[in-house]
Amino acid sequence: MKFRSRIALAAVFAMMLAGCSVEVYEEGAFAGGGPGASGGEAVQQDDNTGTISIAGAATGTDGEAIQNVIDEGVNANADYTATYTGSDSFEQNIVIQIRGGTPPDLGFYPQPGAVVEQAEQGNLVALEDMGFEIADLEARFGKYLISLGEFDGKHYGMPDTVNFKSAVWYNKPAFDEAGYEIPETWDDMMALSQQIIDDGTAESPWCIGTGSEGATGWPATDWTEDIVLRQAGTDAYDNWVTGDLKFDSPEIKGALETFGEVLFTDGFVYGGHENISSTDFRDAPDPMFDDPPKCLLHRQATFIPAFFPEGLVPFEDYDFFKFPTIDGNDGVLMAGGLIAAFSNRPEIADFLETYTGEEAQCLYGKQEGSTSISANVNVGQDCYDNELIGQASVSLIEALQNEVARFDASDLMPPAVGSGEFWNGMNNYTNDGPDNLDSVVQDIDAAFPAPGEEPAPTESGSGS
Amino acid sequence: MSHVMTTDPAGPTSTDDHDDAWQPTGPTRGSGLVVFILSGVAAVAVPALLYLSLNSSFNFMQNRFPAVVTGLVAILIAVVGVFLLYTLVDYALKALPGTIGDRVRPFAWCGPALVILSIYLVYPAVNTVQLSFLDANSQNYVGWANYQYVFSDDAMLRSLRNTLLWIFIVPVAAVAIGLGFAVLADKLRRLESAAKSMIFLPMAISFIGAGIVWRFVYAFRIEGGGQIGILNAIKVGLGGAPVDWLRIGGWNNILLMVIMVWLQTGFAMVILSSAIKGVPEDILEAARIDGANEVQLFWRVVVPNIMSSIVVVFTTMVIGVLKVFDIVWVMTGGRDGTEVIAERMIRNMFTFRDFGRGAAVAVFMFLAVIPIMIINVRRFREEEGLR
Repeated sequence: MKFRSRIALAAVFAMMLAGCSVEVYEEGAFAGGGPGASGGEAVQQDDNTGTISIAGAATGTDGEAIQNVIDEGVNANADYTATYTGSDSFEQNIVIQIRGGTPPDLGFYPQPGAVVEQAEQGNLVALEDMGFEIADLEARFGKYLISLGEFDGKHYGMPDTVNFKSAVWYNKPAFDEAGYEIPETWDDMMALSQQIIDDGTAESPWCIGTGSEGATGWPATDWTEDIVLRQAGTDAYDNWVTGDLKFDSPEIKGALETFGEVLFTDGFVYGGHENISSTDFRDAPDPMFDDPPKCLLHRQATFIPAFFPEGLVPFEDYDFFKFPTIDGNDGVLMAGGLIAAFSNRPEIADFLETYTGEEAQCLYGKQEGSTSISANVNVGQDCYDNELIGQASVSLIEALQNEVARFDASDLMPPAVGSGEFWNGMNNYTNDGPDNLDSVVQDIDAAFPAPGEEPAPTESGSGS
Repeated sequence: MSHVMTTDPAGPTSTDDHDDAWQPTGPTRGSGLVVFILSGVAAVAVPALLYLSLNSSFNFMQNRFPAVVTGLVAILIAVVGVFLLYTLVDYALKALPGTIGDRVRPFAWCGPALVILSIYLVYPAVNTVQLSFLDANSQNYVGWANYQYVFSDDAMLRSLRNTLLWIFIVPVAAVAIGLGFAVLADKLRRLESAAKSMIFLPMAISFIGAGIVWRFVYAFRIEGGGQIGILNAIKVGLGGAPVDWLRIGGWNNILLMVIMVWLQTGFAMVILSSAIKGVPEDILEAARIDGANEVQLFWRVVVPNIMSSIVVVFTTMVIGVLKVFDIVWVMTGGRDGTEVIAERMIRNMFTFRDFGRGAAVAVFMFLAVIPIMIINVRRFREEEGLR
């Protein structure tokens, strides 16, 4: 009997351990103040504390690049030391830190939506209150990027580096051998796709993969956004982001139908549209470099060469062209973040000024493996050691100046849509084919928070 | 906690059981209030002093010393400090006149634990319930809307269905397989521990690790590409077409449960194996003499004898399964109808940044665990009673 009860004791102990881990979740999630007990009160302090703490989502090479740029571009000539700490769970941690009253000095937010959300709750310091002139910043970054962090007439987000998304990668040797030309328009690109099939240059023209664990579907949202931006225009794009233009509208459905030309034309997608969400986005471009190539074209942001098979040489084995125009409309889709300040000290304003200045930003081009492009329009192409990125930066800056550059819409939409139902909808669309488009757009629309449910976000997020 | 204090030490029917230690001359009755106050002070003193010393040392050391040094000092203060504080409190209690010290002592020793527990457990739980009635940003009261969401949203309903399936299938499968192995391994003459180690090995792998291992089992590549997943490699090797296993509706849930069973069988086996060895040999002997065969012996003698262990293992697993999150998150992220409750909680809370809904899911999950906890505790008490 004694023996058995000891077993029971052991089991109960194990059970208690299991019970504890429930509480770890809850603790992590809810520790800190109750509603309204938000910390991070913007207190003006005049003495230089000598340190600036920065939290962000970039880790690994990207995180090192950030710290390198800060060290070389800012810390080297300043009477303070800024330290960047990257975390994969930045977006969870920062919420906990804010609620607990211990936010970092600066947050390098990967998505602008969260910045506006914190501004609404009164946790951030406005750029105006730190002494910045918005007109100067608009000259530095273009109006659009500055407008992203706007709330209630003030601006809370300093643009950070961005990624260039509107790139179509191609297998250069196969392209050159067949004598294909870079398509200038969407129709040219569709004609080229058909020609690739007719010529038998590759099994299919396109490689598309949207698999990305919990975020599966996002590459398809990028496709959609690139098309909406061109086919429906920037105004429609901005209204779409805020939810004023429904997914179930002629503009957005039209864009999805245009996307469908690639997805559902027989033979256009390697492996067929049913397998798009089953193919990891990192593996998706690989068949482009098989011998013979299984596809020739792949649309993805400028980070993707890092996932190409090893040993390929840029400009020799592969190259990219900008996503073509639709109905004569040009545009550039980008992703990136905003810097938000949780405390107001002179050295923090100085840091922001120096860090986003030309000299420091130019250093991003020297970081090994970095594909970040400075959003500062004065940073020249020659800053970038990686010529591919240099080329992308030219397109990006041109688009910023022409006011046709737009932020990844899914990053700007309420997360229940942009990080939820939009992805799901794209998966359903690519899996099931064109017939269910109506239910796809209706489901996504239904995920938008009901008006009044989220009171404040107004139209402050949209620019122009 | 406070009602314990008011009734217990000061009440007329004092439950103090060490009467021998009582000094008959001591002022026993009039000191009730003093004991009560001192008990409260003693319970709060250790955590409060510890907090203050940790906080002030952190404030002093932060940014002045390397983080490692600050961390080490914090550990030193926490470990040595707690020891010193307790010693100090105990010393102070001894110095108190009469029996007051003896009556305050229990609260000085378990009070701090209760105080800390309520800060880290009770407060967050209460706070969660509060959050679940507020909107996404915890600004406005929304009534039962978040709970309505829990029981009406399609994905939530799927997660409830799936979690129910997990609760039924995983513990049953893990206990059945574990019990089978335990019985069979028991019959092995030499390789018993080696065989058991093999089954127990996955227990050492974290859920996340297991998820990554099993991704390579289920991995899928478009036909024609090299299959890196073992299941598809076998299927293609036998002339079939590759299948994306984790997208087959319904089956994908079962395939995820397989991972959990793989992880948990070892736990069931170890506990049940020792329970089987605890079945008295004379009972088995008697049954054999009565003419029972091995199968009858198992079902009629062994199983009833180890029933309490089976129940404990089973309920422990049900609790674990209720919280299953990592496996689903890593493998499918809840796509294609594989949502589970805990995954929905994290998704609503952090991905969708809707604290109200996230909290409502958490509260529901918390309530769902309670009946199983009660069963477990009751079972444990019965065991204790038998001793």
